[in-house]
Amino acid sequence: MLEKVKRFNWIMFAAMLALVAVGTVAIWSAGNARDQRFHGMWISNLQAAAFGLVLYLSLAFTDYRRFLELLAWPLYAGALAMLVAVLFVGDTVYGGCRWLWFFQPSEVSKLCVIALVASLLGGGDEWFCRLRPTFRGFLVSALLVGAPCALILAEPDLGTTLTLAPAILVMMFAGGVWRRGLALMVAAGALTVMAVLCAVYEAEKPGVPAERREAILRYTPLKEHQVKRVRVFLFPDDDPQGSGYNLRQAKIAIGSGGFTGKGIGKGMTNHLKYLPPAVSLNDFIFCVYAEETGYVGSLVLLALFLALLLPCCWIAFKSRDGRGRLLALGMSSLVFAHVYVNIAMSIGLLPITGLPLPFVSSGRTFLVTVMCGLGLVQSVSLHRGLEE
Amino acid sequence: MKRGEPQESDIVSGAVCWATAALFLLGFTVLAVKLKEVQVTDSAAYGYANARQSVRRVQTCGARGRILDRNGEVLAENRPSLSIVCYPESFQKKTWDETINGIVGSAALVGEAIGRAPDCSEAAIRRHVRESLALPLVAFRDVGERELAVFSEREREFPGFEVRETDERVYPKGALAAHLLGYVGRDRGEAIAGDEKFNFFMPEMRGRAGLEVYYNSFLRGVGGERKILVDARGFAIREWTVVESRKGPDLELAIDARLQAVVERELSGLKGACVVMDPRNGEVLAMASAPGFNPNDFVPVLRPGLYERYAKDPSEPLLNRASGGAYAPGSTFKPITALAGLSSGFSPSETYDCDGVFELGLMRLHCSSRWGHGPVDMRHALMKSCNPYFCSLAMSVGTNAVMSAARAFGLGSKTGLDLGVDMAGVVPDSGWKSSMYHERWYQGDLAQMSIGQGMLLVSPLQMARVAGALGTGMLATPRLKKGLSPELRPIPFSKAQLAVVRSGMRMVVAGDGSSRGTGWRAGEGVAAEVCGKTGTAEIGRGATRRKNTWFIAYAPAASPTIAVAMVVENGESGGGTTAPKVGAVLKAVFGESGRTGPDADGG
Repeated sequence: MLEKVKRFNWIMFAAMLALVAVGTVAIWSAGNARDQRFHGMWISNLQAAAFGLVLYLSLAFTDYRRFLELLAWPLYAGALAMLVAVLFVGDTVYGGCRWLWFFQPSEVSKLCVIALVASLLGGGDEWFCRLRPTFRGFLVSALLVGAPCALILAEPDLGTTLTLAPAILVMMFAGGVWRRGLALMVAAGALTVMAVLCAVYEAEKPGVPAERREAILRYTPLKEHQVKRVRVFLFPDDDPQGSGYNLRQAKIAIGSGGFTGKGIGKGMTNHLKYLPPAVSLNDFIFCVYAEETGYVGSLVLLALFLALLLPCCWIAFKSRDGRGRLLALGMSSLVFAHVYVNIAMSIGLLPITGLPLPFVSSGRTFLVTVMCGLGLVQSVSLHRGLEE
Repeated sequence: MKRGEPQESDIVSGAVCWATAALFLLGFTVLAVKLKEVQVTDSAAYGYANARQSVRRVQTCGARGRILDRNGEVLAENRPSLSIVCYPESFQKKTWDETINGIVGSAALVGEAIGRAPDCSEAAIRRHVRESLALPLVAFRDVGERELAVFSEREREFPGFEVRETDERVYPKGALAAHLLGYVGRDRGEAIAGDEKFNFFMPEMRGRAGLEVYYNSFLRGVGGERKILVDARGFAIREWTVVESRKGPDLELAIDARLQAVVERELSGLKGACVVMDPRNGEVLAMASAPGFNPNDFVPVLRPGLYERYAKDPSEPLLNRASGGAYAPGSTFKPITALAGLSSGFSPSETYDCDGVFELGLMRLHCSSRWGHGPVDMRHALMKSCNPYFCSLAMSVGTNAVMSAARAFGLGSKTGLDLGVDMAGVVPDSGWKSSMYHERWYQGDLAQMSIGQGMLLVSPLQMARVAGALGTGMLATPRLKKGLSPELRPIPFSKAQLAVVRSGMRMVVAGDGSSRGTGWRAGEGVAAEVCGKTGTAEIGRGATRRKNTWFIAYAPAASPTIAVAMVVENGESGGGTTAPKVGAVLKAVFGESGRTGPDADGG
């Protein structure tokens, strides 16, 4: 036990607690701007964090290798089942069918997929070891990852898929899956994104007749609301009162925060509801935070995330075990993707998409999921060099 | 469990871990750089955008200055007026229609409670919500004491409604000097879109007539600035004052309210006008027009139908006859004709044998004395207002001399009065006549003009100036505001010439020792030597024939301090109708003398 405690990564742990604290304040402020029901949001979020902390510590002191051996496949199967179930019996919120009773299966499934991929590629399954560098191995792992992704896309929840994809890619690359295939896939993906962006640009640039616009957009896989988001991304100043409203208000909130911010609880854009209250607690929580704490606060937040993520890389490096390394890299990549996409979309670096900012956004399922995942990473740290 | 050196994984190389860490660092660096651009470099622009969208800037108006007479008597001031206003933010609903319906419904309830219909229609509420949401909406303007009592008692039943105090204009002396003072209206509050300094202008009192218009920018207060913080839908969150508004200065008039009341009393029930001024500096002491109106009927809002009633009234109560009425001056013009003669070398002692009519070709101009005055010199011609004398005088000196004398007295041009209503009148000449009537100028026109008839048109104000100028030799620009620097212009006649006319005008009132002058009633009982001239201008022919009766005067004769001109429409004669009224005015100025005039027993 003492051995384990010695290997406990305190930096990562402290960074996580600090992020929970930051999140609590941000949720308190964003909740206060909304009606009575949301004023206590920060408390329930803190309760979820406490629950997550228990799971975190339990998982940290459990040997991740045993965890993966026992639970990787059952969790994966369970996640698939829930994702199927949510399509039929889930509750629809804001146009996406994401809720199953009290939680969002897509959030939980992120962890399950990462666990499975870590177990599979890290050498947990004997039968896969020989397949790994071959095309068939690539195919198998792509199918295993693709199934839940397809189900999440069907909800539809593009954002979750988009953040899961880079994490899986990092893991597959690190795990030595048929690299030529991976490279092709990445290249194809990049080309598709470029092509779609160019198509939307061509279709939406000023002076394009409606028929031509229709003709171009028919060849893109985007739905109308997605086209709108991409258009806002490409032409952010075109329609500040309409489709560009959210982005404009997000930028006003962040920008007007200035260097030192307006003070906790004093974000005008948030409290006067210019920042759409429907998204200020979740997808746009960074705006609330950045308005109140300014550039200093933004840097502190980025530093805290680095303090959380870099130890993960360190743990992966020190682990020398395939599964441990993949788990740590996968989890940290997942968190990184969320942080990057969430902040980047708020300042117009990426098109707007609905994604929570880990620890800061309200969202209990995701919070608990991320804490569990980081608990597993902590477990990798604790069990470094120990035989099973 | 057994301790052992960990084996390097053969599957995942350590370099990947470093690469991932590098990726994280790179990503966060990109974010940090972009965030610096947004939060530091462009922060001011976003802060400005933030302030623009969430703060409404309101220009408040300062209290309007009062209008005082020369002795500090209040002629126009502001009274506190209580309104019941409604705060739209208390009626926030999901949709605008629900919000508007909520306000309409609640306003109706309040109206039911206090027993009067709201002053805001649904359309007005809709417009207010669309344009001025952040401001309170005046639901009941200027509520009475009883209504207020009911409302205050039940105020808790009507959340979102509140009593607010505003200013309203009031004219404490009612109809007194109404044409001078005018009245105010209130602008509609303006909502300004775009990048202006203010989003809203509070409805400000604005002069609509009279001095309230002319001195509007003088009287109006200095606007203040309030800011209202609004939420994303535009509802007010809180407001604060940035710059306090300041009260406008009081306007002190040269008018003497007491004298004004005397003048108006003399004119009451008649149609006519009177101007009393100080010829030494042009200060207008009284200026009245009858019939009049009560400016309090026009504030705070003109009652529907009232304006039409005033406007359609054939006696034209809204017309300021004193400076805007165009009348033929009649015989009050004769002193000017006399001066025209004198300056052309006509001898004042030359006599003319008046036989009661002046004949020129086919035209016959009758004299006031049916059988003629017999031989008269200039002084007696003035005293007796002998028409043929002045006709023949004009014939001998010509049109130009009369014309330039009339212009020298400021006729035919604006007086420069500090009031919007300032009629120039008409001094006809051949050019004017040919352009108006396509007819040439006949000698008959000159004959008519010499006795103040025909096409000549003047205002009572102009004639008051003339009276003053005759007395002092200086033509004064009339001033309503006290303390303006006087503007005096000498008239181009010698002392000797003026002396002749003055003694003639003195004789009009005082007689020549053997008989009364036509205007003797103007001097009766006045404790000053009055000089004057009567006038009876005939207008129309046959059934519509009527007479406008004039009297102009100045006093005291030696060094005039008062000049008066009065016209009464449809009077009998200048001497009979108007002179006694002018006398009453002069008595009010100079006091009454014990005796009835030095020459009252004469003639």
